[in-house]
Amino acid sequence: MKIRLVSPFLLAASLSACAYFHPASAPAVVEAPAAEAPALKVDVHKGDFATIQQFVTPGGASVWLVSEPSIPILSVDMAWEGGEAADPKGLEGLGDAVGYLMNEGAGDLDSLAFQTRMEDLNMSFGCDTSNDWTSCSASMLTENASDAMDLVATAFAEPRFDEGPFERFRREQQVGLETRETSAGYLAWRAQVQALYSDHPYARETSAESLAALTPDLVREHMHKLMVKDRLLVTAVGDITPEELAPMIDEVIASLPESSDLAETPDLTFPALDAPATAEVDLPQPQTLVQFIGPGLQRDDPDFFTAYVLNYTYGGGGFESRLMKTLRVQQGLTYGVYTGLNPGKHFASWSGSGQTKNESAGAFINGIKAEMEDFVANGVTEEELDAAKAYLTGSYALGFDSNAKIAGQMMGVRQEDLGIDYFDTRNAMVNAVTLDDVNRVAKEYLDPSKYYFIAVGQPQGLDAPAEAAPETAASE
Amino acid sequence: MKRILTGGLAALALCALPVSAEEAWKPTTFSLDNGMQVVVVPDHRAPVVTHMVWYKVGSSDEVAGKSGIAHLFEHVMFQQTDKLAPGEFDEIVSRNGGQSNAFTSWDYTAYFERVAKEQLGTMMGLEADRMVNLVIDDDPKGSFISERDVVKEERRQRIDNNPGVILQEQVLSKLWAGHPYEITVIGKMDEVAALSPEDGRSFYHEYYSPENAILVVAGDVTPEEVRTLAEETYGKIQPTGTAHNHRKWQNVPLLTQTETMIYRDPKVRQPSWSRYYNGVSETRTPREALALDVGLEILGGGMTSRLYQSVVEQQKLAIDASSYAWTDLHDEGPAVLSASPAPGVSMDDLETAVMAQVQKVLDEGFTDEEVVRARNKLAATAIYARDSQSTMANVFGSTLALGGTVEDVLSYPERMKSITNEEAIAAVRKVFSPDRHYIEAQLLPPEDEAPQDAAAE
Repeated sequence: MKIRLVSPFLLAASLSACAYFHPASAPAVVEAPAAEAPALKVDVHKGDFATIQQFVTPGGASVWLVSEPSIPILSVDMAWEGGEAADPKGLEGLGDAVGYLMNEGAGDLDSLAFQTRMEDLNMSFGCDTSNDWTSCSASMLTENASDAMDLVATAFAEPRFDEGPFERFRREQQVGLETRETSAGYLAWRAQVQALYSDHPYARETSAESLAALTPDLVREHMHKLMVKDRLLVTAVGDITPEELAPMIDEVIASLPESSDLAETPDLTFPALDAPATAEVDLPQPQTLVQFIGPGLQRDDPDFFTAYVLNYTYGGGGFESRLMKTLRVQQGLTYGVYTGLNPGKHFASWSGSGQTKNESAGAFINGIKAEMEDFVANGVTEEELDAAKAYLTGSYALGFDSNAKIAGQMMGVRQEDLGIDYFDTRNAMVNAVTLDDVNRVAKEYLDPSKYYFIAVGQPQGLDAPAEAAPETAASE
Repeated sequence: MKRILTGGLAALALCALPVSAEEAWKPTTFSLDNGMQVVVVPDHRAPVVTHMVWYKVGSSDEVAGKSGIAHLFEHVMFQQTDKLAPGEFDEIVSRNGGQSNAFTSWDYTAYFERVAKEQLGTMMGLEADRMVNLVIDDDPKGSFISERDVVKEERRQRIDNNPGVILQEQVLSKLWAGHPYEITVIGKMDEVAALSPEDGRSFYHEYYSPENAILVVAGDVTPEEVRTLAEETYGKIQPTGTAHNHRKWQNVPLLTQTETMIYRDPKVRQPSWSRYYNGVSETRTPREALALDVGLEILGGGMTSRLYQSVVEQQKLAIDASSYAWTDLHDEGPAVLSASPAPGVSMDDLETAVMAQVQKVLDEGFTDEEVVRARNKLAATAIYARDSQSTMANVFGSTLALGGTVEDVLSYPERMKSITNEEAIAAVRKVFSPDRHYIEAQLLPPEDEAPQDAAAE
């Protein structure tokens, strides 16, 4: 199909003043008189960090677009709530298979032909799944936007799910079952889920059995459950207007089912821990990966921003965090130690990690716990709070200096349902956090006895008393 | 009516910008009186800047036995100056909403801050201060010693935890034997452990001076603003007169024998196979480097490549197969073929299948269609790269640090698109010529766990 890429006015301007702009679109426009184009209602939200154009396409897709004409590229992101956790029991890996196969052939194009077509158009398109989300993104040069979006539309309308790519997916997954057994990150994750939420869908993982049970037909069926119109979110950034983008999006989504029933993901509460011992997982390597996880806060928790600001001083603020100052700068125990909030809709946690040589693993863990206890007992200083606010608000603009970042920020706001004015209200929410609130949240959340510690490697000294730690550690 | 009017205004804006935008992307270059080079890369999309200082010194400048000093010194630059106590540098940058970091390569060392544009002058003040006022004391509990421990942890994290990286370090050390790239950037563990504060001071004295540095500012600024701020900060620094800029760069000698290096580790669950050949450098032979990039893109650049289609898709002997060349070092880097066997496939069978595809290319060449597709794809990366301000700052900074020019960067897409089929195949034939030696690398599980066929050497 042909797509109207530019409005007649724009075309006239293009032809007269800058012929090179969108040359590929010129013939298409002539066929579509402006009078017949349905009016698109666009709400423009002009903010400090981005001007978002919000509209619903005639085909029903809700789109947030930032027009950025200074580079001739366009990126379009699509997301649907529902991901790996919606894999039916026994078919773990099904959602991943959908994501893997979405750019592996459609319509007349087999896998090689589809990939070659993407290269000819200098575009990329692919999909993947996380616990809670299925996402697709496409990047293209605007001069090829019409053809690129045609190809994406074909991928949704006529995916082939051929035996060849399907078997390749399965082979790669089978290799993954082997290699994950020596991946420190994976082993830490597995120890964590087995200890904290082994019965929850988040704990399920692909296995030889679940991979063997997958078929291309199941993948096709599951794709039509994950990718449906009524859960679709679209964001786009690039050299394009709403009037140009809307018909492209409609072409892409035309074939999607209206709706589907997906298994609800049950909510999960961080369990109370009775034995605060550190879990050890053996892995033959010179360093120990230490991960620690405790209760967190959801985005709609009234204390969320308080925790967010506190996290900067705790372990989120790089060299300005206490964990980094003590364990790296003063003691030289690690190249880096960090913490972060994970405010999931169904499971909220507050976690951190760092690596240290096996010999100092005990000292490292004791050092982390000592810092946490200090937060609980003494809180943070007014100066630390000011420093956290100054960085968090002052650096916010750095997250909006590229199309890719703006697209990601917008999708994050949509997925968390934070509202279209979030970018402009966020700094005020950071600034409203008080010292009393921070210290109350520190006392409630940073108690090390509420945290689960995991050490992957060949850690030593895990039973050593905390007092002895810094001295032992600094002398090497 | 209103909608069309809006469209029309948008159209004018869209129309006016790309034309001027092409011009608006062009960097401006000038030098300060003390010899410091300056590049300003405009990007007015957001009110932020990326501020970088590149020093023309890297690990290839280290003296024997002092490996790792260039990189450890980079860490020490964040510690203490006449004006700033330890930790104060990061504190000031963060207080101003900035992000800062640094990196060291064989060829250069770069420091950067990303900030709102109003803070650019403050960042320049900080960077200029540590160019001339750094303090490295002999305190055994001081920051030089603790950073040395940090670097040892960094080495463990980057290299020693990862069997594949350990093997690559050994292979590159052999490929570059006798060349200043021989030792990896972070250095040998025992040599790093022996570095002293005095080593740090003499390294600083020899290399850190404005005439040995390049300032790159990308973002929402004008060349005039940058010039004014740079003259007020960097411009006040007197050259030390000791920065000689005598780089130890030299042609990498061709391998004189073929050998196989095997590394076994209990963490290896998926074997892999590679061959490292002597490659080319874009700095030394630009057209040949671009031609090799085109050739290796066709041979093994992705899913559509010859290697992947044959060895992975059709024969199902591998789960991955690829080829690439490191062409962006000053001196010649390796051209690499690599593949991971499918379960049960021996290294010998894998190697035979990969080399059959290489031989087919050497015998029959490429089609014109393949060459056009590959060079267009590589040329388009230059357009996508513009989306990242820090990428653009890095591209200009690294090119200039290697002795190249702004024009080299700007002309890349056109030069890439002009690479011919003959040039692409000639570059590949030269690198994989039968009289060239190579290092074969095999990453394997421990002997007792390995399948019989994979243990064959």
